[in-house]
Amino acid sequence: VTGHPSPTAAVREAVDGKPKVTFRHAGDRFLLVEYGEMELDLELNFRVLTVNALLHDRAVDGLVDTGPGLRSNLIRYDPSRIDPARLIAELQAAEDEVPAGGGVDIPSRVIHLPIAFDDAPSRQAVERYARSVRADAPNVQGANNIDYIVAYNGLENREALYAEVLATDWWNAFTGFFPGLPFMYPLDPRYALFAPKYNPTRTWTAEGAVGLGGPCVAIYPVESPGGYQLFGRTLPIYDLAGRNAAFRPDPILIKPGDRVHFHRVEEDELDAAFAAVREDRYEYHIEEDPFDVQRWQAHCAEVRDEADERRRRREAAAEETPVP
Amino acid sequence: MSMAIIEPGVQTTVQDFPGRLGRLADGVSQAGAMDHFALRVANRLVGNDDAAAGLEVTLGGLRIRFEADATIALCGTPMPATLAGEALPLWESVAVSAGDELRLRMSKGPGFRAYLAVTGGIDVPEIFGSRATHTLAGLGGLDGRALQKGDALALLDAGATDGFAGRRFDALPEYANAWDVEVMIGPQADPDFLTPGDVERLCSQPWKVDANSNRVGLRLEPFRLDWARSGGGIAGGHPSNILDDGYPTGGINMNGDTAVILGPDGPTSGGFVVVATVVHGAIWKLGQIRPGTDTIRFRAVTLDEAIELDRALDERIARAGA
Repeated sequence: VTGHPSPTAAVREAVDGKPKVTFRHAGDRFLLVEYGEMELDLELNFRVLTVNALLHDRAVDGLVDTGPGLRSNLIRYDPSRIDPARLIAELQAAEDEVPAGGGVDIPSRVIHLPIAFDDAPSRQAVERYARSVRADAPNVQGANNIDYIVAYNGLENREALYAEVLATDWWNAFTGFFPGLPFMYPLDPRYALFAPKYNPTRTWTAEGAVGLGGPCVAIYPVESPGGYQLFGRTLPIYDLAGRNAAFRPDPILIKPGDRVHFHRVEEDELDAAFAAVREDRYEYHIEEDPFDVQRWQAHCAEVRDEADERRRRREAAAEETPVP
Repeated sequence: MSMAIIEPGVQTTVQDFPGRLGRLADGVSQAGAMDHFALRVANRLVGNDDAAAGLEVTLGGLRIRFEADATIALCGTPMPATLAGEALPLWESVAVSAGDELRLRMSKGPGFRAYLAVTGGIDVPEIFGSRATHTLAGLGGLDGRALQKGDALALLDAGATDGFAGRRFDALPEYANAWDVEVMIGPQADPDFLTPGDVERLCSQPWKVDANSNRVGLRLEPFRLDWARSGGGIAGGHPSNILDDGYPTGGINMNGDTAVILGPDGPTSGGFVVVATVVHGAIWKLGQIRPGTDTIRFRAVTLDEAIELDRALDERIARAGA
């Protein structure tokens, strides 16, 4: 195999504020388009989703499907309908067309969801794990994951954690692992939380559970195994049966590029809303609101010092906190 | 018209071809026949489209009673089969009468799965454009799960498919216990992620396929790579870690020292490198590789070779009828 062809099909160097783009072959049906360097930079994701939206508008024949990641887009194509070299030319043309960061608004919605913190099913999931999988894991002491998240992030108490979750919009950078499961990042850098994942993973999680894994917040679309540290519960975000009007156009509620904004409710109120969703008596509050990257950049610049200060505090606390 | 499941066997699911495309961005796995070659041939033998839903029978043990006349074809691993007590030939379309019982015994290999096509195709609801079962997500097929004793499956109206019995496919695939599987190196390979020696190593020896393998993935015996990077950087400690990317079906995913070939039910994205990708013209082999006994040797091909391999496979399948 020495001398096998390089998987790298093409590279666009960074220019005029646009990141470097690397086109990598992933077999004969997929191209992986990768942006910038390996760093957690939401601006790379904004570009992924902007170019992705343009590609969908274009409806390039032979381009079957796209799967955005954090800083990449996986393009599925049919080589019997489009020559791979022509596909790359189409993708390059889309890169040409999309201006550098902040030039255009990203199609996006704000989805308002109620959240009950420290909910009973999440406590039950943790308790079950401690009983049947691993009792000595540092993240399950006290039969909850919340105290662990608080300690790992150097927060004063649980209320400080809840305040951070409520203070920022959560950006769905990509969806994966399970149909409709959003991987969300805080748009306000001051509220960047972090938590190591379960080790080993949990065998059960309630539908609607909200958890933190690495820098991501996820909502569980159905009952499932999982590895994120649970801190609350919200409404259904996935329903194949379309029992609520919100799911009839599409059984998956949260799309890449959508923002979730949580508001706090008591658990009985959440349970009532959950039942109302099922009976089609609940109306999800969803706003069409294109995302203004320039405004976001300005805000990030404004709060940079505070965000850095909080990050240092978090990192210091993390060093003192055992990993599961 | 319908079929009654008397015994479901080891694992039998409704599958189609090419599975569920168009929903990568929503995290929906492709699913679909793990060996699309055998299902497509079976479908063509009975006069169906390639896309018609059939049954994917893992290892064997399935017993079905037909409630109406139909034409069927069974293709795949040599699974001793009887229809109404008579030996049923594989890779051939056969007329079935209402009340007949089809009985599939355990395959001794080579190969691991067989596909049953029935005139018209199996009538289960299309979810996201496909009837394929994805048990992990609980969607598609019959209630999103493998078949159980007592299930009844409806069939779509076959239209005018009389005269399809007695057709035989003669361009049979070669099944083995030591498989050569064509891959393209990448997307995350040398020089950025692997050393040239790593790539050579990946392709130079046969890898045993772990017993703990299924439609989600084929797990290979652990092996150490040298890696071009000292760590995963921001994504985590091990150099196999990356910030989450989409995963191609057939990707060879390195999770530390464990390689998993992502099957049709595998995740759509994740945080580990994909060092090579099984090409479409070879991906059917994943459905016939026996966990726990078979070995795989990867053969690196170019993009042009991959496309040619796929074209040749399509031509071969076309010999089963249009």
